[in-house]
Amino acid sequence: MKSGRTPAVVIGVRSYGESDKIVIFYSRKRGRLSGIAKGAHRSMKRFVNKLELFSHLEILYTESRSSSLVRIDQAELTDPFPLIRANYARFAAASLVSELIFHWTRENDPDPRIFKLLLWTLTSLENLKQPPAWTAILFNIKLLTLLGYKPALTGCAECTSLAPGSGPYLFSPGRNGLLCRGCATPADSAAPEAGPELPFSLRTARLLQKAQELPLGKLDRLRFSPAATKEALAILKIYGNSLLQREISSWDFIVR
Amino acid sequence: MNVVPPALARLIDDLARLPGIGRKTATRLALHILRRPAAEAHELANDLANLHETISLCSNCFAFSESDPCAICGDPGRDGALICVVEGPADLMAIEKVASFKGRYHILHGVLSPMDGVGPAEIRVDALLKRVRMQGVEEVLIATSSTVPGEATAAYLAGRLQGLPVAVSRLACGIPMGMDIKYADELTLSRAIESRKPAA
Ligand SMILES: [Zn+2]
Ligand SMILES: [Zn+2]
Repeated sequence: MKSGRTPAVVIGVRSYGESDKIVIFYSRKRGRLSGIAKGAHRSMKRFVNKLELFSHLEILYTESRSSSLVRIDQAELTDPFPLIRANYARFAAASLVSELIFHWTRENDPDPRIFKLLLWTLTSLENLKQPPAWTAILFNIKLLTLLGYKPALTGCAECTSLAPGSGPYLFSPGRNGLLCRGCATPADSAAPEAGPELPFSLRTARLLQKAQELPLGKLDRLRFSPAATKEALAILKIYGNSLLQREISSWDFIVR
Repeated sequence: MNVVPPALARLIDDLARLPGIGRKTATRLALHILRRPAAEAHELANDLANLHETISLCSNCFAFSESDPCAICGDPGRDGALICVVEGPADLMAIEKVASFKGRYHILHGVLSPMDGVGPAEIRVDALLKRVRMQGVEEVLIATSSTVPGEATAAYLAGRLQGLPVAVSRLACGIPMGMDIKYADELTLSRAIESRKPAA
């Protein structure tokens, strides 16, 4: 049977029976990957402490003929990111990141840019270069951009105006971006499938637009005020949930 | 044609819903119950039926108990100044088995897990803080697992207990008994070194 090796990050773990674990990874070579680790709770040599949430590993696996679940043969720890678990705000942000990666990606559909973004995000949370809520915002903006759902932030999504007098602006998940006062009709807000429209300041829009453009290495230059943090988290939650058509549980636990 | 009598099929369905039990095991268990004397099946049925009526949660520590307070909270021989915080009832039973712990417990009934919608409000943190304030508690021993959610829960609890006049300790983590240290990962090894003790 075919075997493989890939760098991977653990984004979900479940006990399976008395001694096995089902582990969900986001891997560089395979995209999302689910595997079973036989004897993970007992085996001291192979897996002890390695198949843990958010750990960056190099895994060896064997494909199964009958299911999409691979068998995990070996795991080598590259970085366990030990400080993420030592702080609730970081843990909650890393949980959100894992949950989003799980729902936005598929098996056998690798995207090395998403893998790189995931490692950048966990490293930022580990090193605490910025508050975990900011890291969560930046991850969301970058992920949506990579997935092709970049929200329109440079001007009203309908009429492209960006005059301060056209405010207050709204963010419309249904129309993928900013909406000026003139274009936000009552009919929009009445369409429940589009999600509620949220007040959105131009300052926050510009900040998120900058985040879309800057390379990962320069994102730590951005500063979010408490008001911008609150606004950005709110629109990214509503926008992402509306695109995914589901509620992402971890959003409710992000510490502002 | 269905060869399994409906009553047996229903029991197999019921048993297969239990954690860790597949259809094969459920069938084996159901047939075993059927082959044994009827009295045994009645006893099992009675025990199951009475479970929820006789057992409830201790209002102090949230252990499953037939009385309130539970046997441990009601025992004057146990040290009320020391509280051991555990994730679930199975952890309490494991610690009680070694008999070296003489304090009381606090059962969270879970660990923080944002992905599953479990936050601080779901794991009885406020009740723990209330006990610490009201019951003259001197030490809280946090005995959650050394998994990532267990560690995050421990860190969260330690943060919430900060500033209260109570010592907070964490179950020592290190090399499991019987393990060759060359197989230990870096994290386990560094924790073991941090929590080292005098050898004599
Ligand atoms: Zn407009
Ligand atoms: Zn009790």
